[in-house]
Amino acid sequence: MPAVEARGLVVRFGDFTAVDRVSFSVEPGEIFGFLGANGAGKTTTIRVLCGLLHPSAGQAWVDGVPVEGDLKAVKARVGYMTQRSTLYADLSVDENLAFQAGLRGMSAADLARRRGELFSLIGFAGSGHELVQSLPGGLRQQVSLAQALLHDPRIVFLDEPTAGVAPEARARFWSLIRRLAGEGRTVFVTTHYMDEAEQCGRIALMRDGKLIALDSPLGLKGSTYPRGLVEVDPGAGDWRTRISAESGLSQPRPHGLRWHLEEQREGAWEAFAAAQPGLPPWRRSLPTLEDVFLKLVEGRP
Amino acid sequence: MRRFAPRRAWAIARKEWRHILRDPFTLGMALIMPALMVVYFGYAIDFDMKGIRALLVDRDHTPASREFSRVMSASGFVALEAPAPGEGPMQALDLGRAKAVFTVQPGFARSLAQGLQATVDVDMDGSDNQTATTLSAYLAGFQQAASSRLAQPPPPALRARYLFNPELSSRFFIVPAMLALVLAILCVLLTAMTVAREWETGSMELLLGTPAQPLDIILGKLLPYLGLGLATVAVVYALARTVFGLPFAGSHLTFLLALLLFLIPCLSQGLLISVVARQQVVAMQLAMLTGMLPNFMLSGFIFPVESMPRFFQVATMILPGRWFVLICRDAFLKGSGPLDLALPFLMLGLTGALLISASLARFHKDLEP
Repeated sequence: MPAVEARGLVVRFGDFTAVDRVSFSVEPGEIFGFLGANGAGKTTTIRVLCGLLHPSAGQAWVDGVPVEGDLKAVKARVGYMTQRSTLYADLSVDENLAFQAGLRGMSAADLARRRGELFSLIGFAGSGHELVQSLPGGLRQQVSLAQALLHDPRIVFLDEPTAGVAPEARARFWSLIRRLAGEGRTVFVTTHYMDEAEQCGRIALMRDGKLIALDSPLGLKGSTYPRGLVEVDPGAGDWRTRISAESGLSQPRPHGLRWHLEEQREGAWEAFAAAQPGLPPWRRSLPTLEDVFLKLVEGRP
Repeated sequence: MRRFAPRRAWAIARKEWRHILRDPFTLGMALIMPALMVVYFGYAIDFDMKGIRALLVDRDHTPASREFSRVMSASGFVALEAPAPGEGPMQALDLGRAKAVFTVQPGFARSLAQGLQATVDVDMDGSDNQTATTLSAYLAGFQQAASSRLAQPPPPALRARYLFNPELSSRFFIVPAMLALVLAILCVLLTAMTVAREWETGSMELLLGTPAQPLDIILGKLLPYLGLGLATVAVVYALARTVFGLPFAGSHLTFLLALLLFLIPCLSQGLLISVVARQQVVAMQLAMLTGMLPNFMLSGFIFPVESMPRFFQVATMILPGRWFVLICRDAFLKGSGPLDLALPFLMLGLTGALLISASLARFHKDLEP
């Protein structure tokens, strides 16, 4: 049984279709990445899967429970860490956890046990009495994660959990994500960082409410760029102006200081390069997820 | 799933209480502002004018005219002075140094002795409407006092006795009503922020992700503010009794019951605003508009409801402040039993039930997946 399954999910807000016939399924223990530009429908999809929003059409299940059915069962199975921190800044860490436990109907003993487990998971060494507003951003995100995991859900939805967090804290957060998956929990995560997306088992790409690709990072690179990429070093740029429709090449796109371009037919680059005196050094390279994202999501070659 | 859980409501109430305790602004609003307002209004708004400055021009110069001026001064309502040398009495009015000029006409004593009409002219500064009106009301009193002293035989006197507020002190009238007014404004204002804040900070998503129900949230938010409202009352009550020396004629139990019946609709009004507005700035403005204005103008705090146009007399039936102003004045000054207050109690209860249901219904729609 898949941990999360969506079939033909549609969400409309008036005339606007936020999620358009989206179907996928996520296996237990998988780290499932959800990528797309802002407004592509990622958060809306997550809210449906958490039972916070009913779909206009289609169906979805979490841990086998239909999201439109028993909401209590849905909410017991999923943990949701939203984009914006949901911790109360003027309350202490313990008070935030106790509040969550009270709403979930957890006993004091359960709370104490989970608190201990989660503090050790996130490596929290404080007393629990510190006000959330006094915590550094990275730590706050980890406490936020602990809060989402308090009721021991099998599935966690993390909506941009590392936005605005220092690189070191991001790396630390992702090691937590891997540990959660290692425990058999399903982690459903959205991110704008491509290095984070690389760490997902599979990635779903959304554009304008539609699911446009779904594969492992490697699979996505292969299917999006079957002939790989050509990477040209910076240097004299007039070669770029000589690429025409007949060259069988895509328009070069900046990638850092270098240029990336794609062949539209086999051997087109060598044929073109041979006729270009003064061409800067180049090599064939594997596409990055950023290349994939730019081509699929933003429609750039 | 759709069931109310006291545990969840309690968890929310505890959390909300912590917000209150950690926010100096809320605490200050609830405890210090009401005290300041009551002191300010209790002292500054004094409709009983005493020592109104007036000039006495005595053109008669007889023992009778002097007795007349003595009677007036003794009342304490006017502070009589003679005109400054070289200054016409009207000049003093012009310059605002006096609000009225009393002129005892020549022949005052002779007319009195002959049993004829003796005349004192009064010129008042009509540009100060308030003072002139009050002074006019005092004139009858002066006349009566002077007549009983000077006329032979003294004319029959109408003796008025003011029940419940023997001195007819406006402070006794203002302070209890002030309690109602301050509470109404405060409760609407404070709760108007609570739900809107959850929407604004995004913590509403957290609440929605849990099994918390609208009723849990609404009751959990009402409870701590009810406590805060009671604390406010305690502060104002203590001030009223000690600083202003107000009596408390009614039963404390009846008053407490009325207080709860009044706080619930006020707090619910704030919650409804909060649920509808979703933004703290909008909620604040709505709270000012629907909490402050009607309670100030239409509750009977300043203008008696009985003298309002018929439309407002009926429309203010749903205004909790109107009933509580009445109840407060009654509790402090009069002391009627709960049966006499049946209508106010009923209306408060109805309004409270209505407002809670409205916020719940609206909240349900928002939170429905």
